[in-house]
Amino acid sequence: MSAAVGCGASSSLSRGGGRADEGGEIAYVSYGGEQHLPLVMSLVDAELSEPYSIFTYRYFVYLWPQLTFLAFDAKDGKCVGTVVCKMGEHRGAFRGYIAMLVVLKPYRGRGIATELVTRSIRVMMESGCEEVTLEAEVTNKGALALYGRLGFIRAKRLYRYYLNGVDAFRLKLLFPRPDPGLPPMMTGSERDDQQMDSPYL
Amino acid sequence: MEAGPSSSAAASPPPPPPPAIPTSHQGVWADASPLLATACRDLQDGELVHGENFSLFAAMSALEIMDPKMDSGVERSGYNSIEEAIEDGVAPIPLSLDMTLDVQRSIDVMDHLLSCEATWHKGHTLAQTVFTCIYLMRMERTSSHAVLNSFCRILRATCYAVISVVSTARTHEEEDLFTMSFGLPLRDEGDEKCLSILNSVEETISRQLRACKAPALSKKKTLEGLESLQDNPELEEDYCRALLCRLRFRKHFYHVVTCMRKPQGRGLELAKKHVASCLTELRLMLKSQEFLKCQSNIMLQQGDENCTTASGCQPVGFDASLNSRLLSPTPPRAVKVLSWSDAIRYFEKLLHDLDIICASSLDPVLENVLQFIVQFQKSVPDLVSRAFLQTLLVQDGKLYGQNLFSDVISRALSLPDIIGDKEFQRNEFVVQLGQLVTNLLKILCTNTAWQRRKLGKSLQDWSTISIQLELALKREFGETRDVMHHENMCMRVSKQLLIWTQEHAYWVASRFLTLGFELDLYSPGEYCMVYWYMYVVFTKLIEKMQLRVLASSETSRRKGKKKKDHSKDSARDTTFPSSCLLLQCYVFLSEGLSMMLAVLRNESRSFQLPSIFNTEQERFMQHFDLLLKARVPEHISYYSFKESSSRAGISDLVNYNFFKEIQKILPSLRGSFASEPEKLAELRRIEQVAEHNRIALNIISLVGAGDPSLRVSFEFTHHPHFAVAVVKRS
Repeated sequence: MSAAVGCGASSSLSRGGGRADEGGEIAYVSYGGEQHLPLVMSLVDAELSEPYSIFTYRYFVYLWPQLTFLAFDAKDGKCVGTVVCKMGEHRGAFRGYIAMLVVLKPYRGRGIATELVTRSIRVMMESGCEEVTLEAEVTNKGALALYGRLGFIRAKRLYRYYLNGVDAFRLKLLFPRPDPGLPPMMTGSERDDQQMDSPYL
Repeated sequence: MEAGPSSSAAASPPPPPPPAIPTSHQGVWADASPLLATACRDLQDGELVHGENFSLFAAMSALEIMDPKMDSGVERSGYNSIEEAIEDGVAPIPLSLDMTLDVQRSIDVMDHLLSCEATWHKGHTLAQTVFTCIYLMRMERTSSHAVLNSFCRILRATCYAVISVVSTARTHEEEDLFTMSFGLPLRDEGDEKCLSILNSVEETISRQLRACKAPALSKKKTLEGLESLQDNPELEEDYCRALLCRLRFRKHFYHVVTCMRKPQGRGLELAKKHVASCLTELRLMLKSQEFLKCQSNIMLQQGDENCTTASGCQPVGFDASLNSRLLSPTPPRAVKVLSWSDAIRYFEKLLHDLDIICASSLDPVLENVLQFIVQFQKSVPDLVSRAFLQTLLVQDGKLYGQNLFSDVISRALSLPDIIGDKEFQRNEFVVQLGQLVTNLLKILCTNTAWQRRKLGKSLQDWSTISIQLELALKREFGETRDVMHHENMCMRVSKQLLIWTQEHAYWVASRFLTLGFELDLYSPGEYCMVYWYMYVVFTKLIEKMQLRVLASSETSRRKGKKKKDHSKDSARDTTFPSSCLLLQCYVFLSEGLSMMLAVLRNESRSFQLPSIFNTEQERFMQHFDLLLKARVPEHISYYSFKESSSRAGISDLVNYNFFKEIQKILPSLRGSFASEPEKLAELRRIEQVAEHNRIALNIISLVGAGDPSLRVSFEFTHHPHFAVAVVKRS
């Protein structure tokens, strides 16, 4: 995806991500149809730097409704957070992609973003994804810490990725392979049968 | 077709049916217009009908009209065209009927243009920066205003020349906004004459300045036909000076840009002089600020950091939104024009970077060239200077446009006999390696984010060639290992070529790994594995370097025997270059840090990476994926790391104190680098890291690595790649 149309994932949620119960119940709901779309759009429009057209939202929620989740404040039914994702083939791998993650400011620090994104990643894993990626602004310490705790590494830095001129990190989460004993790059080697007396190691 | 939600399709009356298409064996054609019209009536605003190939790119290419966040054409200035703005008096010529005000405003235009130019260099479009100037867009209008005309003309010619360097270098894969010119009037027939036009304006003003300096004469002279710039004789001298430094800066900067493009670095010496002149003029521009501010009578409310002119006045003749419709159909990028003082700082930095390039000795020794680029990149130079460096390094497929890359390689192999040897030049491996070196030089000139990715990918190429070379060597010369006594020239060359190739694969790998620190790609929990991998790569790099030196000293020894002349340096057999010793410092630092982190992990359970979705192994595989795939080095896996790190204990680490070892090496290194200030600075950094970590290690071993009150963190306060442990007790 080119820098001009990059997807942003954001969350300033941080430290003590597991305190979901503090300050009232949060209800997590999988995307349920048209009635949820304006909620998702207004949250993302308000909190993320990149502008997205309605088609972008529809692209995600119609193709992968099972990967979009919303968080509601159980007290007043207000939508306070959302995560929007996709998955598909990418260069020979089945890969999940987290496009947008938002939690309203007053609700941050309560583990809502972690819960939202964990739910999506779980579905991706169960659907056979080998890895999950996303981009986050290099300045977004909260999001970077959150994804770091979930096992993401900062695989690349993308120069001036966002329209506002900020660099992005491409974050990646690799799921364990079925046979962890044999990493794929060490097998099926074209050199294995050559018995070369290597000058290496 | 899948009917999904989305955009409105206007429900207009259906057009007349098209002529029937004949039936084919694939099916029958039918008019679907009524069906579509019915479907359209069902579609709500924001819905669309799409096929299966509807992609994220397609979705994101849609822009919502009139949404200011997305629609870059949304009207904001009130003018629909430049002509309309001009008619409305936005860019008057002269800028004022009051001659003093006219000069003042001309200077504001020049200053704002400088701020725009710096903003452009920093990664915005030309259309949204320099070409927001209406005078520049309609240059013919300025012909009656000699000062402004000459300034704009040379500025435009400079922009054109700078675009040409950057496009030639193509270092700008992610910086492609720079060269987009959107059909702007970038070039005009008169532009070759821009220097002579500027010179004559400069001459007129400097004569006027001389006249001012000799007050007794000034009145007479003015009467004799010297035109004063403006009406107030008291201010004449200062205005002359303010204009002159701005015009002269442009002149010298234009010379810098053109001299640096001379083939084979022939213009570098002259360019260096112009760089110095540019810096002088920049200082004079700064000096003129006090006077200009004073004359502008504006109480500066925003302070310098927001003013795009020296005087603090808003310039006339600019409209930021006129060109917005020229931009490609993407959401608008926010452009904040740099302040004038930031622009001056930008140009100072740019000129210092260009000065470093101009000082290049055009050294053809590859090791030194690589070192030069790496050193150059340390100051994080911007796109323009990086492009100049690259166009100097690689011209016409040769190093500096002078040296065939095959010769560069044979020089690196210490085989002077084969320089210029046609058979060597034509050798398939040498051709491929020459291409790899060319690419490597280009990659090293790109921004570090892009550079690291390209380096990672290029590892595969280096590795493939080493494997092919190894196979060829075996095929040609059989299994015998110890053939040093009767090997022929061809075999010796092949062997050396192999070692050299492997050495460079490790060099690329080491740069790839260390750049990760500069780009902030590693988290503290990953430092242990990163330093472990760096230790492995640096060790192999030294090994290859030593093998290469041994092989070439072998060659020279043989030659010496032949020529009965081994007096020169018989000691050479055993001495390795000081770069090997420097690498040894990196080995110790990496190993020491990796071990220290491993001890902390093993004994205090800190710096570990628990995660619900994967394990450390997956992180290892991801971080080093490209190195593992390229077998740099071979037989390395997560288990190699796990095995060595799990055994690490504090007693071993204290017994074999890597940081102490470094302190033993440093004195001799200082001697050999005595004449290289950059290397000496690096040695000081290494010493700092070693010393701090040695002390930290002592404290950890005294307190006990498992002590629950122990708090260790790592900071990059002394070296960009090697952390310093900070020990605290809570």
